[in-house]
Amino acid sequence: MNIALKFWSGYVRATHRWPIIATIVPFIPVVAIWSIVANSGMFPRAFFPAPVDVMRSFISLTYKGILPDYLQDSLIRLLFGAAIGVALGIPLGILIGSSRLAHRICWPVLLFFQAIGDIAWLPILLIWFGFGLTTMTFVIVYTVLFPIVLSTVLGVQSVHRDLARAAQSLGASPMRVLWEVTLPGALPNIITGLRNGLGYGWRALIAVEIIVGTSGIGFMMFDARRAGSTVEILLGMIVLGTLWYIVDAWILAPIERATGQRWGLVTS
Amino acid sequence: MKTLSLKNLRKTYFDPYAGSQVTAVQDVSLDVEQGEFVSVVGPSGCGKTTILNMIAGFIPYTGGEILIDGNLVKGPGPDRGVVFQSFALFPWKTVLENVGFGPKMRGVPKDERDRTAREYLALAGLSHAADRYPNELSGGMQQRVGVVRALANNPAVLLMDEPFASVDAQTRMTLQEELTRIWQERKPTVIFITHDVAEAVFLANRVVVLSKGRVLDQIKVDLPRPRVWDQLIEDETFKRLSAQVLQMVRAA
Amino acid sequence: MLVAPGQKVRSRVAWRGMNSLVGAALFVTPLLMLVGIWAIVVPLFNVNPRIFPSVGSVAEAAVAAIGDGSLIRHIGASMLRVGLGTLLGVLVAVPLGIAMGVSPAVSAFLTPLFRFFSVLAGIAWIPIATLWFGYGFGAIIFVIFNAVFFVVAYNTLLGVSTIPMTIRNAAASLGAGRWALLTEVLLPGALPNIVTGVRTGLGFAWRGLIAAEMIATNVGLGYMLFVARDFYRTEVIVLGMIVIGVLWLFIDRLLLVPLERATIERWGLVRRT
Ligand SMILES: Nc1ncnc2c1ncn2[C@@H]1O[C@H](COP(=O)(O)OP(=O)(O)OP(=O)(O)O)[C@@H](O)[C@H]1O
Ligand SMILES: [Mg+2]
Repeated sequence: MNIALKFWSGYVRATHRWPIIATIVPFIPVVAIWSIVANSGMFPRAFFPAPVDVMRSFISLTYKGILPDYLQDSLIRLLFGAAIGVALGIPLGILIGSSRLAHRICWPVLLFFQAIGDIAWLPILLIWFGFGLTTMTFVIVYTVLFPIVLSTVLGVQSVHRDLARAAQSLGASPMRVLWEVTLPGALPNIITGLRNGLGYGWRALIAVEIIVGTSGIGFMMFDARRAGSTVEILLGMIVLGTLWYIVDAWILAPIERATGQRWGLVTS
Repeated sequence: MKTLSLKNLRKTYFDPYAGSQVTAVQDVSLDVEQGEFVSVVGPSGCGKTTILNMIAGFIPYTGGEILIDGNLVKGPGPDRGVVFQSFALFPWKTVLENVGFGPKMRGVPKDERDRTAREYLALAGLSHAADRYPNELSGGMQQRVGVVRALANNPAVLLMDEPFASVDAQTRMTLQEELTRIWQERKPTVIFITHDVAEAVFLANRVVVLSKGRVLDQIKVDLPRPRVWDQLIEDETFKRLSAQVLQMVRAA
Repeated sequence: MLVAPGQKVRSRVAWRGMNSLVGAALFVTPLLMLVGIWAIVVPLFNVNPRIFPSVGSVAEAAVAAIGDGSLIRHIGASMLRVGLGTLLGVLVAVPLGIAMGVSPAVSAFLTPLFRFFSVLAGIAWIPIATLWFGYGFGAIIFVIFNAVFFVVAYNTLLGVSTIPMTIRNAAASLGAGRWALLTEVLLPGALPNIVTGVRTGLGFAWRGLIAAEMIATNVGLGYMLFVARDFYRTEVIVLGMIVIGVLWLFIDRLLLVPLERATIERWGLVRRT
């Protein structure tokens, strides 16, 4: 008991010094259990590979250059789609957030199209654009767009009316009010929207690559599915999870916190 | 010289629940001299905020006219500085940037507007807080920033709607004393709205009492300046004027 | 004017009814306008029906699909899968989440795991699910279960760990045993988070469902869309999209949002979602 406690306090201190330990250690038991189950022969190895197999596949695919290539393809698609989504979403959100009439007209339409969801567009997109980049980009833009628009609207509406009035009575033109007050005021919400949007976009990308696929992580997973190779499917999932973890926990979440906290606009 | 004049000002709102017009301001005429400090008091709902918002140009008026230096008011503008009860500081700008906002909108170069802003911050005793963000300041400090931000823009009229209502009693007294001091130094024209009769008398050259959207009465306040609470609290004239205004408000 | 209490209440209810009717009309009007534009544009530009269908042909497709019972069958299959998968997911996730959230150390330890798995929620499980369970019902249920499970468990854990220690102590000092603490304090305290989790998880599950049905089955809305694509039946595709949109709008706006609002407002816990 005493030793366990000592161990625990050592762990707590270590995680305090190097927070990354707190991120990695919880995965150790998961991998261990996985390894034990796989080695126990409960399931056929081809069906339920061990961590070592996945590791081996990771090394070989990286060495052959397939994994880096696919990863790059997926990331570029995601970033490209997200960039377009942001470029469309923020202005649209500002318009809908600041104009009553635009809100009346656009809000129901927005909710409806959001409800249709990205994936359901695939069949008709395949008819329109075929299996290709256009289809994939469309789906990602579509996915990223809604969270950004919806949270931009929320952000714009959450800016206190007195702030815009203060700027006006200090001589700001409508464009300046937009730039100096509305945008910064909505920024924390916009970043939250971006974070959600990227999360959804990532999933959509995988689905599209599975169905449309010619390359990318999703394609790799589904190609492996066709060949019955569980190892590569698991590898794909792990790569996806890790990548998103890094992007979300180490880039997006800190940005989100930083904007909100410094200004005291902390949103939970 | 008249700086601000209201002529037969009127405002009706549409009440969507009752489906009818509600008169908030019935008929208000008022002239304010350059450099005058006018307090406006009146019971809740008598139309004080509505009048101030119309002068500021935040809401349109139904009838009559508002003139600033002879020009008709149409919308908000830098000739009327506003100090808000909610402070309305830009949370994403430092104190210095907040105070320099008005000059920035006029296209004043950064060096110069920083200099102006620092000068005004010194006036309010806030030089040390220049690089902080508003949420890092106490309520009293935030409202000081709010006041000098409006002043730094050199408005013809300074409009204040219960600016000290949301700070604690001690701080409020300090702010009131500071405001009279700053007013004496700069002589801005001020319209100051408040619920607090003592505050109204303490600050003003003239107290206007409103009732049901009309001017009920006005009282000149000829107390000597500088005004400090320690002295005025015992002052007979101050007590008499306060009592008089209080009576009018309660009768309103 | 004197008004009897009952009368007043009734008139207020009527007014509120009017209000929600007006609200519904305001909501539907822009959508109807959109249909109007669609009805004008398609014949005006003589759009090829293989590219985009006319309003009429979609209506015909709807009548046909309802008539031969296929639409109902597809909807039924999809709803059954979502319902069952969600139910399983919530039933497993909530107790687990509460158990994990009770100790701050345990919940801190597990948070990274959930973060990792929550991005995989839904779609990324499709390849392995179909390998393990074969194409069909099992794989799809597994995908939906996954989508719901990780998100709900994580939110439950979050919800429980945000209940202040003082409240737990207060309950304990008022004589609450373990079971009472669970049912009287932890579960209600975490409920707003649980509901939010269910809403998010169902969103992922719904998307995962459509994707999985395109790949791994022979009935369901996703399948209906994907098969129609093979024959360039755009009117069936658009019909399917509208059905999917309307269904989700109903599930989300009429069920999940009010539920979320009710739990959050009832306890005055204003939390942002
Ligand atoms: N936007 C509005 N729509 C409808 N009626 C309004 C609106 N704003 C104010 N009123 C009404 O106009 C009248 C005057 O309101 P106003 O806010 O000017 O009062 P006030 O003197 O500032 O009160 P207080 O001292 O409580 O701040 C009130 O009866 C109020 O109900
Ligand atoms: Mg008021």
